[in-house]
Amino acid sequence: MNPIIETQGLTKVYGSNGTAVHALRGIDLTVAKGEFVALIGPSGSGKSTLMAILGCLDLPTEGTYTLDGRQVQGLSGGELARIRNEKVGFVFQSYNLLPKASIARNVELPMLYAGVGRKERRERALALLEKVGIADKADKLPGTLSGGQRQRVAVARALANEPALLLADEPTGALDSKTGAEVLGLFRELHEQGNTLLLVTHDPSIAALAERRVEIRDGLIAFTEGAA
Amino acid sequence: MKTSDAFRERLLGAWVEIRENLGRSVLQALGVLLGVASVLGGFSISDSQRKRADEMFVKMGGLDKLNVQPKAAVRDGRPTALQQANLGLRDEDAVGGEALKADAIHGVSRQKFARARVVSPYGDQDRQISGIGGDFIPANGYGVARGRAFSASEMDSGAPVVILGTEAAQVFFPKGDALGQTLRIGTVPVTVIGLFEERVFRFREGQRNQFWWRNRIIAVPANLVQRRMNGDAYRRVDRVTFRIPDLGAMGGFAKQLSDLLRTNHRLQEDFRLDDVAARIRRRNSQGDVYDIIFLLSGVLALVGGGIVNVNIQMAGLKERVREVGVKMAIGASGREIFKGFMTEALLLTALGSLAGLALGVGFSWIITKNLGIPLYMTPASFLWAYGLAAAFGFLFALYPAWKASRLSPMEALRYE
Ligand SMILES: Nc1ncnc2c1ncn2[C@@H]1O[C@H](COP(=O)(O)OP(=O)(O)OP(=O)(O)O)[C@@H](O)[C@H]1O
Ligand SMILES: [Mg+2]
Repeated sequence: MNPIIETQGLTKVYGSNGTAVHALRGIDLTVAKGEFVALIGPSGSGKSTLMAILGCLDLPTEGTYTLDGRQVQGLSGGELARIRNEKVGFVFQSYNLLPKASIARNVELPMLYAGVGRKERRERALALLEKVGIADKADKLPGTLSGGQRQRVAVARALANEPALLLADEPTGALDSKTGAEVLGLFRELHEQGNTLLLVTHDPSIAALAERRVEIRDGLIAFTEGAA
Repeated sequence: MKTSDAFRERLLGAWVEIRENLGRSVLQALGVLLGVASVLGGFSISDSQRKRADEMFVKMGGLDKLNVQPKAAVRDGRPTALQQANLGLRDEDAVGGEALKADAIHGVSRQKFARARVVSPYGDQDRQISGIGGDFIPANGYGVARGRAFSASEMDSGAPVVILGTEAAQVFFPKGDALGQTLRIGTVPVTVIGLFEERVFRFREGQRNQFWWRNRIIAVPANLVQRRMNGDAYRRVDRVTFRIPDLGAMGGFAKQLSDLLRTNHRLQEDFRLDDVAARIRRRNSQGDVYDIIFLLSGVLALVGGGIVNVNIQMAGLKERVREVGVKMAIGASGREIFKGFMTEALLLTALGSLAGLALGVGFSWIITKNLGIPLYMTPASFLWAYGLAAAFGFLFALYPAWKASRLSPMEALRYE
């Protein structure tokens, strides 16, 4: 089966010569379709940097990356935006919802960029909100929702264009354990429905939910545990 | 359909943004508003003034008339020999001139003046007598209020009939029963057959009547003056007027007429034509200086406002880096971000412009009201004001929008 993620020798250097920070030093990672992978590692080890590259938010300094069959390195900003729009769904620790747009509009936005018509956008957004269990909040502003609810909206938004890959960077980091567990339940459900999931976490109990754990240290994969 | 949908969504987003940051938006729109109001107001006031001057010109004699008057033919400070031969301006000149461009000429009138003692049972004054011929009455904006105009045969034969202006009628027949009465002009008894309408034109409300002297007219057939009052064997006239509504044809005609008359007058310059070119130049340049000043002040306001806007936008952008990052993360391209910011700036410009147009109308209305002239606004002024604002709005929006579109999504998301 074709892998969703396939990287070879990914490196990322921030800054130049004197102040250069080598955030990634050569990552070879393959993630198959439908896999649930947890990315763990100490603070500053390069997890977020890797996520950003895997999500096409940033380009690696060196190395190759193929996402869902598409070579990513060397693409223009516009092409990367398109890939982010069509193939990647992000969930951030701090939700990153647009505060001035309604919940439904937040979920519609990726579809708008994809050129989906107005009616279909609305219908799909409502269906997604239904799926994450907050259909009744569609016309509220994000500021009126609790953290758990906001993260559900973020998940709904990430799913908007049926992405090949879901990336979550500490999605429960800002939530209390109960709502965190609820959101994790949601992720597990999504995994069971066949979505490919990559989740960054500090919490071993959360990492235990994944099929595979990949630990990063100093910009390198320290070990992999679980089915590969 | 897809593009219009995307456009509507951008517009909606821009509207939300403007509404959510009302204070900032108002501040940004203010520069546009003042610029637009200043351009529109300035143009409109100068248009109103010019229009009023045009109206006066048209009523007074108009642009469409070419006058020929006699002039002393002088060479080396002395009257020429031929001047003493008394050729002068004659009926043939009028007839010959009309034949030059019969299709472009809408009327020819002749005038022959005399000064004479005018006597009625109520008045006895020394007055100017206008001997008129051809289309004098309509061509000079007179209308017969009561009675009738001269018939062709009265004109031809120089019949002893007269039409009075309102002032003349008031002086010689204060009781208001002038029609049918008899006046004596010099030694000639003439019958009043008509009364002219009153001529009134005030440049501004409340000012004096610029046309008061036109109501003093005492009009008789030109041939009557020539034959029985102030004539001579050459049948000279004091003024020939050609009416040519097509201003383009006027210049060429003036040249031809001048050549014809010089030939007729044995190469003497004993006549004078209105300087048509100068007249047109003067009219076209009327108020130009003001237009430029108003345009400049409007442009300055727009540039000043534009620079302020760039600053406000750049400051605002700092608060919005994260928003841009989020949008990019979920698939907005740099181009999409650029369009979003441009839409916002242009919508703001449009709203500011609309308010500015309203303010400009009010401003012009108050000023013209105070000047006492009617307000006259042309679509061109609106277009200028709006167009300039849109152009400057667009130009000054480019930089912040470009900056926003060039943010790297990763950096933008990390921005605190
Ligand atoms: N934009 C940047 N410029 C310079 N250095 C950076 C930048 N982004 C990350 N780094 C550095 O790269 C290294 C990896 O950072 P990264 O955010 O990937 O770590 P992380 O594993 O996500 O840590 P945490 O668990 O605390 O979120 C760190 O040393 C960080 O300081
Ligand atoms: Mg991190």
